[in-house]
Amino acid sequence: MNKKGVIIGGIVLVIAIGVIASFSLSSNETVNLDMGRTHGTVSTAMGSPILGDPSAPITIVEFGDYQCHACYNWFHNQKPAIYDNFIANGKANLIFVDLAFLGRDSPIAAQATYCAEDQGRYWDFHNVLYNSQESKIDNGWANSERLKSFAFSMGLDMELFESCLDSGKYSKRVQYNISEAKKHGARATPTFIIVGPDNQQEQFQGGQPYSTFKQIMDNMI
Amino acid sequence: MVQTLKLVFSNFKYLALAIGIFVSMLIGLLILSEYIFIEPYLVGHVPQGTEFGFSLIVILSGLSGLVLAMNIFRINLLKNSKGKMGSSVFGSFIGAAAGACSCGPIGFAVISTFGSVGATSMAFLTNYEIPIRIAAIGVLALTYYTTVKALKVECNLKSQ
Repeated sequence: MNKKGVIIGGIVLVIAIGVIASFSLSSNETVNLDMGRTHGTVSTAMGSPILGDPSAPITIVEFGDYQCHACYNWFHNQKPAIYDNFIANGKANLIFVDLAFLGRDSPIAAQATYCAEDQGRYWDFHNVLYNSQESKIDNGWANSERLKSFAFSMGLDMELFESCLDSGKYSKRVQYNISEAKKHGARATPTFIIVGPDNQQEQFQGGQPYSTFKQIMDNMI
Repeated sequence: MVQTLKLVFSNFKYLALAIGIFVSMLIGLLILSEYIFIEPYLVGHVPQGTEFGFSLIVILSGLSGLVLAMNIFRINLLKNSKGKMGSSVFGSFIGAAAGACSCGPIGFAVISTFGSVGATSMAFLTNYEIPIRIAAIGVLALTYYTTVKALKVECNLKSQ
């Protein structure tokens, strides 16, 4: 009887751990598997997973490059306030779409984020890149070797990550994102499209201050 | 030096010209370097860590206004050589070009048009933005010094 109880208890415990683990993963990151995903007029199918609540009334689409200084400044100076006041409480979510044009390492850095997404760590890798950006474009900080070292330090499965990156698995995905950005008139990084609840859109370029985002989103809600 | 400045800027036309160059260059560079945004709302901000770059733009614009107005004064009133005018325009242009961040629309247009050559040149301008601006300020400061010196001599000669 006791033995049976222990076995059943063990099974229940394993299931509970599995459920908790899957919930904790999905709350951090929604893996993008929807190939028909659009927000307003933007096809975000090949973009990042959604940061925040997928059913949030507002979506911020950011077209960016990992080697762009203005994107770096926006990431460090404005994004935290936007996250705290709009994304964390379910008012908005954010999708990053690559406009990787600045240098030869830009597309490969973008591809690497999707290799990390394969292991459920897109946003962690995204954050590592913007925390590791150096002041000079194409000086090697985002080359293949460094990207692999970032993956290693994050504890990713290196065999999977390296085969993904070296094979250029996501090369076309990044190219699709670049063409989607250009199709929407993005001529600088970062460029933002904010899509409201009724699919109304506001597009602007530059790492604009939090006040601009707040004003636009407050008007949409 | 103060006398030379008084001589040039006692004429309201040159004072207005200097202020005009300063303001238009300052606003242009601040927009180009994303310190000012005009769309969707008019808003200005200096992101943390970019204060030094902002100061260099103010100095560059101020020196450009001063030096260009003084050299136009020389050309108009003293009918003198245009050599210093060339170096002041060069200094202003180089300083302004350094502000054309490759993330922006100018960088995007250059890279889209010229491909990897454009990307390399924009990367150079972005990577060395601060040293290029400092060098441009150096050129303008030197031009200012030689212009003041030349005006002193030329005006003394004229008065004799």
